[in-house]
Amino acid sequence: MEDNGDGHKMQVNNLTMYYGDFKALDDVSLDFASRHITALIGPSGCGKSTLVRCLNRMNDLIDGSKVEGEISLDGENILGPGYDVISLRRRVGMVFQRPNPFPKSIYENVAYGPRLVGIKNKEKLDSIVEDSLKRAALWDEVKKILDRSGQSLSGGQQQRLCIARVIAVQPEVILFDEPCSAIDPISTQKIEDLMAELKKNFTMVIVTHNMQQAARVSDYTAFMLVEEQGQPGRIVEFGDTNTMFTNPSDKRTENYITGRFG
Amino acid sequence: MDARKTDRIATVIFWAIGILALGILAFIVIEIFVRGLMTAINPSFFAGKPEALQPGGGIGPMIVSTIYLAFLTMLIALPISIGAAIYMSEFAHEGRFTRFIRFCLDSLGTVPSIVFAIFGMTLFLFYLDWRTCLLAGALTMALLNLPVLLRSTEEALRLVPVTYREASMSLGASRWTTVRKVVMPTAMPGIITGTILPLGRIMGESAVVIFTVGVFVRSIPLSPFDPAAPLAGYIWYVQSEAIVPDYRTIVNGGAAVLLILLFLINFGARRLSAYYSKRKSLGG
Repeated sequence: MEDNGDGHKMQVNNLTMYYGDFKALDDVSLDFASRHITALIGPSGCGKSTLVRCLNRMNDLIDGSKVEGEISLDGENILGPGYDVISLRRRVGMVFQRPNPFPKSIYENVAYGPRLVGIKNKEKLDSIVEDSLKRAALWDEVKKILDRSGQSLSGGQQQRLCIARVIAVQPEVILFDEPCSAIDPISTQKIEDLMAELKKNFTMVIVTHNMQQAARVSDYTAFMLVEEQGQPGRIVEFGDTNTMFTNPSDKRTENYITGRFG
Repeated sequence: MDARKTDRIATVIFWAIGILALGILAFIVIEIFVRGLMTAINPSFFAGKPEALQPGGGIGPMIVSTIYLAFLTMLIALPISIGAAIYMSEFAHEGRFTRFIRFCLDSLGTVPSIVFAIFGMTLFLFYLDWRTCLLAGALTMALLNLPVLLRSTEEALRLVPVTYREASMSLGASRWTTVRKVVMPTAMPGIITGTILPLGRIMGESAVVIFTVGVFVRSIPLSPFDPAAPLAGYIWYVQSEAIVPDYRTIVNGGAAVLLILLFLINFGARRLSAYYSKRKSLGG
C-alpha cells in the first residue's frame, strides 16, 4: 500500500456527474486521506451515495450515467480512457447499504473474490477465509458453520460477512455506503469498532445519514447539500471532523448538524 | 348488507367456483385414466410393438419417441434460449432494439403450431430433402417453443436481485463472470420451472409431429435421423386413419400414458428445481 506524496489515497477534482439529463453532482472536489476515515454526510438525495459510487465506478452499471472531471487513485486518473475497471474494483472495495451476501455458504461468500483472481489452492483459500473473517470480527461466531448459507445469518452478521468478503480481496480502499442503516444498534456498534480497527490498513470512506456515527468514526467529514429540488448535489464544507462538529464555518452545516433540517 | 355477511357470501361463491374448476379437471383426468388403463393395462401394451392390421399392438416405440423428441428439442432450444435470455437481461441496453425483439418474440409465441409445422416440413423435407425424422421435428419444435422458453428464462434471470450483481461486480468480477457464478446458479430453479410448460407442449404437440416426424413406426428410433411416432401424433393417426380393430383401446390407453408421462416430467422438473434451490441455500 503506497501513499501519495501528500498522504491522499484518492482525490476528486471538479467532478460533475449526470444520470441522463439530470445533473446529480456539480463540481465536487475532495481528498481522501490515506488510512483515515472520511465521512460523507447530508440529507437524503444530496448525492453522497452517487459520489461514493463514482469512486469504484459502480455508476458505470447505470445506463446513461456520465462523469466529467477527474478522480485519482495514487495519482492515476481512474476516469481515464481504457482504465481497467475490474482492477480498480479490486483495489477499491465496497460495502452496501443492505447486507447482500450471495446465496452461497459463508465460506464461499468470502472465497468469492480470491477465486476470481484464480486462487484454487484449498489451504490458501482456507487461510484467506479465516483471516478475513477474523479481521471482520465474525470468525468466532461462524467458524463452526462455514458451510451454512450466508443468508441464514442475522442482519448485522451478514454485513460483517460482506466486510469480510471485501477484505478477502485485499483492497486498498473500502467504501461504505450507509452500512448500518439496515441493522440494529448493537451490530452498528460492532461495525463501528471494526472500522476503527481496519483503519490501520485501509483507507475508508463512509456515507452516513447518522451524524453521531460520522462524529464517532470519521477523521474527516464532507457535508453535502442540494440547495433546491432538482439542483445537483454540491459540497458545502469539508474538513477535520472535530472542527466541523464543534465549529462549522458554514451556517448551513451548523443548521444541519444541530438538527435544524434534514 | 353488513360487511361480514357480504364476506361470507363471497367466500362461499369463490369456494364453489374453485371446487367446480377442480371438479372439471379431476373428472377429465379420472375419465382418461379409467378408460385408458382399464382397457389397456398389460405390459405388452406399454412395451410392445404396434400392429398395423392385427389387434393387440403396443405403444413401446411411441413412448420412446415422445421422450426422445422432448429431450432432443430441449437440447436444441435450451442453450439458445438461455444464451439469448442472458443477452437480453444482462448485456443489452434497454431501447428500441430490445423492445423490437420482445415484440417479435411475443408475436411468434402466438403463432399456431400448424404454421410452424408447415414451415418445418417445407424447410427440412422439401428444401433440404430429409425424410421425416426426430431431428426435423425437434428443430421445428425448438422454433415453436423458443419464444416462451426465452421469455420465461429471461424472467428467471431478472428475478435475481440487482444487489447480487452489484456485490459481484464490486469485488472485481466481470459481467460474464457475474452471470456464470452468481446470476445463473441463483436463477436455475426458475429456469427449470420455466421448462415445464414447453415440455408439456412438446409432448402434447401433434401438428408438428404429423408433418415432420411421422405417425407410425414398428421399431424404437435410435438415431435423430430415424423416423419416429410420438404419442400425440400416433393417437391422431390411430383414431382417424388406422384400420386396426382395437383402435379405441389404443387411443384411450395412449392418452392415459401421455398423461402419466406429463405428470412424471412435471414432477421430475419440480424435484430438480427444488434440488437446485436447496443446494443454493446450502452453498456450493
